[in-house]
Amino acid sequence: MFRNYLKVGLRYLLKHKGYTFINVLGLAVGITAAILIMLFVRSEHSFDRFHSKADRIHRAWLQEFYEGQIFTNVVTPVPLAPLLQENLAEVETVSRVAGIGAPIHHRGNIFNYPVTMVDSTFFDIFDFELIKGNRQNPFPSKNSIILSEEAATLFFGNISPIGETLELEIGGEKRLFTVSGLTKNVPYESSIQFGLLIPFSNAVHIWSDYVRTSAWSNVSVETYVLLKEGADPAKVNAKIPSFMQPLVAGNYKAGEYNVRLQPLTDIHLDNTLPAGMVAPSNPLYSYILATIGILILLIACINFITLSVGRSATRALEVGVRKVLGAERRQLIWQFWGEALLLTLSALLLGVLLAYLLLGQFNQLANREFVLNADVFTLLFCFSLLILIGLFAGSYPALVLSSFRPVQVLKGKVRTRGMGLFGKGLVVGQFVASIIMIICTITIGRQLHYLQQKDLGFEREHNVIVPTNQQGSAAALLANRFIAALEKNPQVIDATTSLYSMAEYGWMQLGYKDDKDVFRLFRFNVIDPDFVKAMDLEVVEGRNFMEGNPADSNAILVNEALVKEYGWDDPIGRKLPGAYPQQIIGVVKDFHFESLHTSIKPVVMALKPDAFFENSSDVSYDYSPRPRISVKFRGGNAQEHIALLRENWKEVAGDQEFEYRFLDDALNAAYEQEQRLGNIVQYASLLSIFIACMGLFGLATLVVQRRTKEIGIRKVLGANVSTLVGMLTKDFVVLVLLASVIAFPVAWLVLKRWLQDFSYRIDISWDVFLLAALVSVLVALLTVSYHAIRAALKNPVHSLRTE
Amino acid sequence: MIQLQNIFKWYNTANRPTFILKDVSLTIDEGAFLSIMGPSGSGKTTLLNIMGMLDQPSEGSYHFMGQDVFNLKEKQRKELYKQYIGFVFQAYHLLDELTVYENIETPLLYQGVKSAERKAMVGDMLDRFRIVGKKDLFPSQLSGGQQQLVGVVRALISKPKLILADEPTGNLNSTQGEEIMQLFQQLNKEEGVTIVQVTHSEKNAAFGNRIIQLLDGQVQD
Repeated sequence: MFRNYLKVGLRYLLKHKGYTFINVLGLAVGITAAILIMLFVRSEHSFDRFHSKADRIHRAWLQEFYEGQIFTNVVTPVPLAPLLQENLAEVETVSRVAGIGAPIHHRGNIFNYPVTMVDSTFFDIFDFELIKGNRQNPFPSKNSIILSEEAATLFFGNISPIGETLELEIGGEKRLFTVSGLTKNVPYESSIQFGLLIPFSNAVHIWSDYVRTSAWSNVSVETYVLLKEGADPAKVNAKIPSFMQPLVAGNYKAGEYNVRLQPLTDIHLDNTLPAGMVAPSNPLYSYILATIGILILLIACINFITLSVGRSATRALEVGVRKVLGAERRQLIWQFWGEALLLTLSALLLGVLLAYLLLGQFNQLANREFVLNADVFTLLFCFSLLILIGLFAGSYPALVLSSFRPVQVLKGKVRTRGMGLFGKGLVVGQFVASIIMIICTITIGRQLHYLQQKDLGFEREHNVIVPTNQQGSAAALLANRFIAALEKNPQVIDATTSLYSMAEYGWMQLGYKDDKDVFRLFRFNVIDPDFVKAMDLEVVEGRNFMEGNPADSNAILVNEALVKEYGWDDPIGRKLPGAYPQQIIGVVKDFHFESLHTSIKPVVMALKPDAFFENSSDVSYDYSPRPRISVKFRGGNAQEHIALLRENWKEVAGDQEFEYRFLDDALNAAYEQEQRLGNIVQYASLLSIFIACMGLFGLATLVVQRRTKEIGIRKVLGANVSTLVGMLTKDFVVLVLLASVIAFPVAWLVLKRWLQDFSYRIDISWDVFLLAALVSVLVALLTVSYHAIRAALKNPVHSLRTE
Repeated sequence: MIQLQNIFKWYNTANRPTFILKDVSLTIDEGAFLSIMGPSGSGKTTLLNIMGMLDQPSEGSYHFMGQDVFNLKEKQRKELYKQYIGFVFQAYHLLDELTVYENIETPLLYQGVKSAERKAMVGDMLDRFRIVGKKDLFPSQLSGGQQQLVGVVRALISKPKLILADEPTGNLNSTQGEEIMQLFQQLNKEEGVTIVQVTHSEKNAAFGNRIIQLLDGQVQD
């Protein structure tokens, strides 16, 4: 019986090649999209799950209420880990993880490779694979260092690194470290990334006794906690205040200083907490992608159904005959579902092949390195696709066709004229989805264009940022020598040193209590007198700093937003009321020192940082406070600029590693996620309209076939070709227009929500909607008119004779 | 074998019943070769479909082989049908995607006959009707007469006691039609298969041993 079904199914599919081709290709493309998107969504949801104890590992985070403001930190005080270990019976073990700046001196070169300091319990908690070394005792001494394969290759090439040495500059002193272990490279799906690990005992070189033992408002390290088997995190969380509060009682009232535990596996998709070592993802984006994948699949399934509806006249007769020959409905249901599964299986094979071929492009699009493996999950996913699509797409023939009564079909009584409300509804549904995606594609594109073109209040072109990676006087010395060397070159317009450049989205944030006891926050930067000119900032009131004017070291520049915040009419000569002695000498026009997601905040710029740190009650920063040099070029070849910079750097900095970033690249990186979403939605809308059109094409074939006789009669009665084409295409155009009407409000709502993520955004304009509708109608017309024109041109003698 | 009593069949059109069959009572004995005649629209095919359990009357009772058909469960009725009844159509209604062999085999599949047995049964039939050479051809490769022959063979494969034929020669030329009629006669006489055919042709009706006339849904005696 099964063989018979298979045989009939195969013959049927082979006989109607066009129908099969459209169905298989449509489904295959849908399946390809689903598989690729699955890879992405799976990766997003698999972060940190490779640790065998992942469900027991938590990261401590800090929430402080201070003067009406909430400060949230995933970086915690150094003594927190031992405190938790000591006071919580449920804690099995803890480890601190701290990224430290430690220039590496190796064979005459200086590398700025990230160094991570961890407790020796690190490998008890996490499953990072240690190829060489001892998990129980990973650091035999304080001067042991563990390398990832990547770091080992960088420093030692192909020889075994064990026993080799590296010189790390920690706390201003070079210290010799001996390699005691080698790990596999950290997987992409890990919220903890490292290349070099050193034991936490080196903290004595970095932080004072006070910071290491009792500085509760000083955050420096991430704290990870492994709970004992069966411990309830909620109960553990509830116990913390009892021993934490007494320690911070001097500065915080009860409930103002909270340490909480966050499950390790929640870190990646929880963007309500600030970024730790690896920035979390916006979970919205994986939901959007999953929705797109499901939509495309749905559109492909609908194709299958509409085409089945179109073919139902032919198949109905078969149903009648089979029933007369003794078939039961159950058997026919199996037969039709079997055929649908067979077709889906071919589509699946083709879809997997396509996914395999397109993986490279997709990786480029998503900026990932996904691989398509035949692992259990993927196989299960493909199998579920097969079953779900087969069942869903085959449901119409299986459930509806099989119910036909033989007496009626054999008499030819089943009505199959026209598309039927059901078929029309499906076509409309497909186009609704396609049109929404087209509208989104265009609007996202426009918003991105707007972000990239918007006047930021400073010059972004031909600007290169070179970090000094040094602190204090060493940085100043290096910067001065570098700038002096550069300024001899005619290509360089300007070069300036600042604590943060425009490439760091997130300047230092300072907070203080003003004279009226109001807590105020502002962004802070240390600049030199050239900064304003080099960045093309506009001084709207007062003046810029002057070179060699000693009084200016006690002056500040502020932006308009700050003036507005304090409500001043005459800001020049004023001081920030309360903590700081510096006088305002100038106001610069607002400029976007942060991404356009956020509105412009108050800014203070000074020549010297000292008094500011001392007088602020709150200091926080995302980027290390190490001066950067911004170099503005006259335009021309970027490669030459870099070569010039490198050459001069070598002269003044010697063996210290040369790093650089183009300012416009750095700025665009802030919109990377949006850019990628834009690209993916663009491909998705192309795909969906392609699949929908294939369905339309198939449907048009059937409609025209069914109306052959009518067309013949009309022609004999004198209808001309254009009227006939009009008659045949009109129905379809009406459907697409109806789909537009439904799609418009949905697209508008979706985009409105998306645009809310930006403080600076475009308006959703009506012409996008018109354009999308127009494109869809045109594409639909083109698709349908092929058949319409062919049918209309046919000699009626043939169509009428066949009856 | 067949006892139809007071069969009525009507459709409601515009709230008024249109009668297809009006009080038809008919008894057909096993071994009969009955021809139903009558003009178009007189209810012949409906009557045949009711006998074949493909259709149900609006009123009346039907006993087949002693069983009260309309009081049987759907499943039992299907079994009865599968076991005893074969259909032959005017338009042959062969399955286009299947070969001659497979078309003939299909009823056996639905009856759950084992593969080896199926093979033997189909082989026998192909031999007996001398169509072995055509077994791998598809319906579209056969003439009308050949297609109807396959249609008859397909109806016979499950060794039915009753063959219901709806204008079996309607699409055939006279020579082909006569061959089919001779075949029916032979089946009826030699194997005792009961045959009920609907026909327009006096000549074909004469092959049988009983004729009834239907007019406006009523049997004319």
